[in-house]
Parts: sequence; C-alpha cells; structure tokens
Amino acid sequence: MTKHLRNFCIIAHIDHGKSTLADRLLEETGTVSIREMKEQLLDDLELERQRGITIKARAVVMKFRRGKDEYELNLIDTPGHVDFQYEVSRALACCEGVLLLVDAFQGVEAQTVANAYAAMEHDLHIIPVINKIDLTHARPDEVAEEMMNSLGTDPDDCVRVSAKTGQGVGKLVDAIIEHIPEPPRDTEAVLQAMVFDSNYDDYRGAITYVRVMQGTVRKGQKIRFLRADTTHDVVELGQFTPHRTACDELSAGQVGYLICNIKSLGDVHIGDTISIPGDGAAEPLAGYSRPKRMVYCGLFPSDGQNFSDLREALERLAVNDPSFEFEPETSDALGFGFRCGFLGLLHMEIVQQRLENESDIDLVQTAPNVTYEIVNKRGETVEIHKPQDVPDPGDVEEFRQPIVRCNIIVPTDFIGAVMKLCQERRGIQKSQEYLAAQRAMLTYDIPLAEVVYDLHDKIKSCTRGYGTLDYEIIGYEAADLARLDFLVNGKRVDALSIVCNRADADRRGRAVAKKLKSEIDRHMFEVAVQAAIGSRVIARETVPAMRKNVTAKCYGGDITRKRKLLQKQKEGKKRMKAIGNVEISQKAFMAVLSEDDS
Amino acid sequence: MPSTPRSAYLHVPFCRHRCGYCNFSVVADRDDLIDRFLNAIEIEITQVLAQTPCQQLDTLFIGGGTPTHLNPDQLERLLKTLRQHLPLAENAEWSVEANPEDITSDKLHQLRDAGINRISLGVQSFDDQKLAVLQRSHSGPLAQQVIEATANVIPNVSIDLIFAAPNEDLQRWQSDLQTAVRLPIKHLSTYALTFEKGTQFWNQRQRGTLLPVDESAEIEMYDQSRQMLGEAGFDHYEISNFAQPDHQCRHNMAYWLGNPWYAFGPGAAAFIDHHRNVNHRSTFTYLKRIEQGRSPIDESESITAQQAAREAAAFGARLLQGIDLADIERATGWPIIQELQPTLDQLLEQALIQISNTSICLTERGIHFADTVASELLGETH
Ligand SMILES: Nc1nc2c(ncn2[C@@H]2O[C@H](COP(=O)(O)OP(=O)(O)O)[C@@H](O)[C@H]2O)c(=O)[nH]1
Ligand code: SF4
Repeated sequence: MTKHLRNFCIIAHIDHGKSTLADRLLEETGTVSIREMKEQLLDDLELERQRGITIKARAVVMKFRRGKDEYELNLIDTPGHVDFQYEVSRALACCEGVLLLVDAFQGVEAQTVANAYAAMEHDLHIIPVINKIDLTHARPDEVAEEMMNSLGTDPDDCVRVSAKTGQGVGKLVDAIIEHIPEPPRDTEAVLQAMVFDSNYDDYRGAITYVRVMQGTVRKGQKIRFLRADTTHDVVELGQFTPHRTACDELSAGQVGYLICNIKSLGDVHIGDTISIPGDGAAEPLAGYSRPKRMVYCGLFPSDGQNFSDLREALERLAVNDPSFEFEPETSDALGFGFRCGFLGLLHMEIVQQRLENESDIDLVQTAPNVTYEIVNKRGETVEIHKPQDVPDPGDVEEFRQPIVRCNIIVPTDFIGAVMKLCQERRGIQKSQEYLAAQRAMLTYDIPLAEVVYDLHDKIKSCTRGYGTLDYEIIGYEAADLARLDFLVNGKRVDALSIVCNRADADRRGRAVAKKLKSEIDRHMFEVAVQAAIGSRVIARETVPAMRKNVTAKCYGGDITRKRKLLQKQKEGKKRMKAIGNVEISQKAFMAVLSEDDS
Repeated sequence: MPSTPRSAYLHVPFCRHRCGYCNFSVVADRDDLIDRFLNAIEIEITQVLAQTPCQQLDTLFIGGGTPTHLNPDQLERLLKTLRQHLPLAENAEWSVEANPEDITSDKLHQLRDAGINRISLGVQSFDDQKLAVLQRSHSGPLAQQVIEATANVIPNVSIDLIFAAPNEDLQRWQSDLQTAVRLPIKHLSTYALTFEKGTQFWNQRQRGTLLPVDESAEIEMYDQSRQMLGEAGFDHYEISNFAQPDHQCRHNMAYWLGNPWYAFGPGAAAFIDHHRNVNHRSTFTYLKRIEQGRSPIDESESITAQQAAREAAAFGARLLQGIDLADIERATGWPIIQELQPTLDQLLEQALIQISNTSICLTERGIHFADTVASELLGETH
C-alpha cells in the first residue's frame, strides 16, 4: 500500500466561493460529514466572515483511500488580500499546486490575477477551476477564455464545479491527484520545515504551522528556529483534521502543527526555517523576511475615554496578529494615544474594526500615512512612520516613497475614467489588456500613498463598484515630497501634519486650513490658521476675534438657566486642547481629519 | 444677605397673541384660564408664605406675559390678593408691565389707586415697520401718546426697546432713541433681538427667511444707545438698563445683587432659603398641580455659600458701578476674594475688568464681554 501526498491551496477573489469549495472538498473526501459541515470550518473568525476575507491561513488534512492507495491531501488556506502578500508567498512555498478559482458569472478579478502570478513565480501547478456553474447567468465558456487571456491557462484544463451543489467536485479531486506533483519524500534527510503561519492558544501558547520540506520531526525532539535562532522542545505535534489531532511525527512533504511552549506569537516568525540545534542543521529556506509595516496611523481614545483601556485592547489584538505593531504616542492636539503600523490599508481597516467590535472604545484616527524613506544631508537613510518625524526641508537630501504595481480590472466602459484617475494620482501605465470583449486589465505603477489616500474608493465609485484593484509593493522611488504642516497662531498642530507631493500642497493646504478655520471657535483675539512647508506659508485663513459675548436679558428667571449655560460652556472649554493660546475641541480635529476632499 | 425675601415677582402668563421672538412662559388667546389662574396664585402665595413668612417687601413686580391683558375685574382681584398677602414697606417699589394697546385712562387709575407706582411699557419701537416685523399690535404714534398719558398718572415710567431687529439699520435705531429721550420716561431697557430656540423667529432664521443683522451693526447700535442715552441724562447702570438719577429698578437690583425674592406663577423663579426654585413653565401644568394640591415647583436647587458668592459676583458684575467682593464675602461667609484671585488677574490682563481694592467693574471693552466675565467668575460646577 502506498501513501500519496498532495499539498495545495485555493486562490480566489472574495466571494468566488473558496470557503464553500473547501467545505465540499472536506465532504467529498469524507473528512467531515455533511452534518458537521453546518458551519464553515476554514475561516472561523467572525470578522472574516463579515468581510468575506480569510485573514489567517489555516491548514486542513484530508485523508482517504482509493483501492490500494492511501491519500493525504493538505489544503493550505491563504489570506485573500495582498496586504498579506508575504504570508501568501510563504503559504505558496509550502504547496506544489493551486486551485485557481473563478466565479462563472463574475469572471477574473484583480486579486485573482495578482495571486495567480505569485503562484506562477513559485512554479506551482495551476488547476483552473470555474465555480458556480449552477447559476442561471453562469458563462463558463467566456470565463474560461478570460482566464486564458489573463492567466494563460488552457480552457480545456478548466474544471467546472458548483461548490453549492457539489457538482464536479469529485472530478476536481481526481484532477488534484492526477496533476499536482507529489512533494519530495526525503524523510531521512536533516529536518528542514517551513513556518507558514501561527496562532495563539490561551492554554498552549503559540501554535506553529509547518510544512516539512525534508527529514522528520518527532514529538519530544529539540528543534531550532534558524532565523530567530531559538531552540525549543516539541511538546506536541499533529495535523488539523480539521480539529487539532496529535500524532507522533511529521515527515517530508507533510503539513501540520507544532506546540513548543512558546509564550508569544512574536517569537514565531512566518517564513522561518525549523531544523535541529547545533552545527548539523539544514540550510535556511529562501524568501524569508520580516513583515514590513507600510501604513501607519495614530489612534487616540476620544474625549473621556480611557487610555489604558485602549492599550489593553491593542495588546489583546497584537497577541493574535504579530504583523500589527503599536507604540505610545503623545499629541498636543489629541492627547495620549498610539502610533500603529499595519501591513496595508485593508489590514488597518480590519484592526480598527476589531477594536471597535471587541472593545467599547471610540477612536480618533489620524490620516493614515505610508512608510517613507529619507536620505538626510549626512547621507543616512531613515524610515519615517509619521509625518511629524520628517526633518525640515533643509535636512532632506532625498525623499522616497513606496511604489506599488496596481492591477485594475474594469468593464471596458470605465477604462477612460480609471485611466484619468490613475494619471491624476501620478500613475505610470505599464500595460492594458483585454480579458474579454467587455473587460480589461490596466496595470499602473502608483505611489502607495495615493492608494492609501483615496484611490481605492475612487476606483470603486468611478466604476460603479465594478472595478477591482489589487497591488503589490515593488520598491521605493524618490519623489518631490514635502511635509505639510498646519499652524494656529504660529504653533504647529502635530496631529494634522501630512506628507504630500509638492504639486498638491497648495490644494490640500488650502482645503485643510479652510476646514480648520471653520471648526475653531472665535477667541478673544484673532486666530491665524496657516498651511506651511518648512517656513514657507502656502495658505492662510483667519478666525476673526470675538467682538462681543453678552446677553442682554438677565433677570430673576434667567439666572439659573444662564448660570448652567455659562458653566457648560466653561466645561466644554476645559476639555479642549490648547495649541499655544488657541483652544480647539477634539471634535474639531475629528472633523478636519475625516474631511474627504482635503 | 438677608434671608427673608424683601422682593417678590408675580408672573401673569397671558397675552393676546404670541410674538414671533418670544419664548416666555405665556399662553396666547386663552383668557378662559384667567380665573383659574387667579385662584391658583392665591393658593400658591398662601402656601409659600406659610413656609417662608413675609415681613415686608421693598419691591413687588408684576410681569408677564401681559398683566394688563386682564380685564378690570380680574385685575382688581389680582391686585387685591397681592395687597392682602404681601405687606409693602413704605416707599416700596411696585411695578407692573403693560402693553401700550391695553392702556386706558381707567386702567391707569385702577393701577395707581391700588398702589402701583412704577409702570414698564413694552414699547419695543416707535417705528411702525419695525413694530410689524416684531409682530407688535400697537403703532408708533399710539405708543408715544400712551407714554404721555401714563406719565400723567404714574410718573415713574420705564419703556423697553428692541434693537437689531431684522432689516433695522443704525439710522432707524437712532430715531427710536431720539423719540424715547423726548418722552417723559425715567427708565429705559434696551435689548438686542435674540433668536431663541422654539420661537417662530428661530425657525425662520434656520430656514433663512429671516436674516439677523450682522454683528458689527449690532455692536454699533448698542454703543449708540449708550452714547445717546448718556447725553440725554440717563445713567447706564446695567448691561441693558438706563435710568435717570434715582430711578434704577430696585426690583431688578435685588436679582443682580444676589438678594432673595419670592416668585409666583408659571415659570417663575424664586430664590428663597438658599434655594433656587423654578415653577413649571407650562401654565396648564402649573394650574393642574396647584388644583391637585401639589407643589408647582419643577426644579429646586440648593445653593451653597460658595455658589451664592460666585453667582453674586458674576451677576453683580453686570452692574456698571461694579461690585465689592468684600460685601459678598461678608454676606455669604465665603472667601471669594482669595478664591477668585487668579481669575481676576486673568480678566485684568485681558482688559475686561478694572479692580480697585476689593471692588471690580467692567471696562469699556468688558461691557461687550459681560458673559465671558460672568463665566469666569462662576467657574465650573462645584
Ligand atoms: N450559486 C452558487 N453559489 C455559490 C457557489 N459557491 C459559493 N457560493 C456562494 O457564494 C458566496 C461566497 O462564497 P464563499 O465560499 O463565502 O466565498 P469566499 O469569499 O471565496 O470564501 C456565498 O454566498 C456562497 O453561498 C456555487 O457554486 N453556486
Ligand atoms: S407680549 Fe411680551 S410676553 Fe407676550 S408674547 Fe409678546 S413678547 Fe411675549
């Protein structure tokens, strides 16, 4: 009797049916009965369900027999969004094949393309799968052609399924067995395993997800994380069936988990290599890097809310999400809060939403910014995580920003609008391809800052929701950037500084200054609101001085009412933040920060 | 401060119709309630005095609403009730508010004969167009005649004038003031029109159909009043009040100086026994409560010595002669001078007040910022 292994993952755009198909595969292989299938098993976080995004990878083993042959299929779940590009690449590195899943009605979307390219880079065998063929409006033939045009797959190879009815799923299992290569099975070699994911269990500590590349790992043995350079005992190991099921060993080609008494997820690095302690260790696997926070924003508790509550909430989140980081930040304008780093825009939104769902905290968020690089006059390169840290113009030799390659898939009617938008946002067009008669893919290199600022929303709105956008970081480029400050009576309002292109500075400076002016109450003196780059003022607004504050009538009946009114005003004032001699409410800052067209 | 009130206020909540800017506790066109009201007032006065007996009053003020809207019999009954329960000191000031259109020679004699020695006329303007905007039912010429006629019977006449009405300019306001100072009046109150929530004017302003005059025009009109009335021999003694020598409104002075007073009627606010009590604002609820033997008080707040001291400072500062904090300290027993020191320094630095010894008073600039000063003197809730 021979045992066969197949390791694969499913690449799909949101809502094309990845989770449903995973369920059907578990049923088809007898891993889980239909009754147990009531709940979707693979992505179990409530939030992911809400957003339809699988954030954290999971891995499930499906074991079954066909005649004399025993099969073990490992389905590795990949995060669906490109903010988790690195995590996706590590999951792909653990597979020999992928199912490229496309909705028979929607067709190819931007995210599918980005991840398919990644799969090709890893030399994986691709099985094109067209899902939802039960739909009345399904157009599988056209979609097969779109896939050929955009991804180069052969229409004849497409497996057509309905994850809903189960139609075609048996054939899909056949295709997996037939086409995806068997992983190398050198079980005697020195242990070498890839860490592709982790999560945290309150009782057991870090659960490390691994794919064994060569050799064998056994319960009780000592292992070493080569990059982190830490040594641990394997307390337990096993596979997900889909529940955690312990076994004695995992050998070359197999996928499973290790529990090693690790107290913090921060000690488990995705992409790290596990081997043995000492000199005889295997080579570290290629492609390792530390997660890089590309988007930062300040999070502050809103008025009257507790700083330490926010800290606790952030700590709780970070336990399960090592790619999210935060450190205390103090702002004159917003008080005590945290500067938080995220992998990307979506990651930021997810974290915020979790914070709001899981704790009862109202947040004030500063405008997100990307991670910049600055070469100063001394030739040093520094990473910048918040606009306030940008040195004055005199000390900046070169200002660099991250550039992303965007794939945008749009119905052809909207090509013009999207191209115009991308050009406005300093995009450089790389290519334009027709996927089908009605659909095209535009590829642009665009500063990430523009995507973070509003490109994503704008593409959605100028394509009536049909356009999809995906991007990956391709590197840093020098640009004509500057720190734009806002001052009230000559004092900088730290929370409002932004980095922007010099060409946009006038427009954005004027808009924010105007908005800020409208939010500042009149004072006993005139208040000047300015936008400035360095010492150069580019916009100025004035809040005129209050000329009177007196109510005419004040008799017996008015005294109580009037006293309450005056005291309320006074208390409102006490909560205000003082920028120099100017008092500004947090509400005013929030209004300025949430301004769309600033 | 004396703990037995020497002042009393009575609120008569009836008007012919409700003016577009008015947010007083008033019912318009419900004369059927007047008799119930007269019953209720008598009950309320009796009950309050049973708790806090009245020795003698120095001032009694009948306000509204429009007290003169009552017919002669009703008015007679009201005056009788007051005389019967509220003993007046010799030289006491007894005022009544009146609208020009209600004034007849008979009514004037009725009021005088009952003992009323001061009358406050709701003139608002002598300009027919402005009166129409304000929805007042008298004409400019009638107002002038009424003032003359009133002064012949009750010489201590005060009038109210509104400025900064929609469409009003400085010239129109000057002519109102000119007319006023030529007439036999002893006292004048001027108010910039305000837009209060819940009034017709408020809604119209929200909709943009009524435009308030701009701030600088309003300031100009106010300053003009001070100048012209000053020249005509009227002393500007409180933010909105002007009087000929010895004709300040003693009743209102009691409010500003923080002295206690009784108050009766719907929405009336009293300051008795270290409590600020406010009656229910609805005339209907007020009547119902009294008729059911319940208290009409809707809100009651006890005032600590500190609060009393700070209020006396804040509201006293509205008087242009200023206020002596040492007096307040003596009356309340609260060390207000020391407590307010930092606040006073700040107000002084902002050129809002002047200080001499323990007295403070508003500067020229401070007069325009009386609420800022009051707010600082009140401090936060304690
Ligand atoms: N009609 C039909 N609906 C499907 C099929 N597969 C998935 N769906 C539906 O498509 C939606 C998205 O599916 P889901 O598996 O959550 O997508 P995921 O975001 O890729 O994981 C759900 O409402 C599914 O019920 C299918 O084959 N046919
Ligand atoms: S007459 Fe006076 S109290 Fe009556 S509604 Fe008009 S403004 Fe108000």
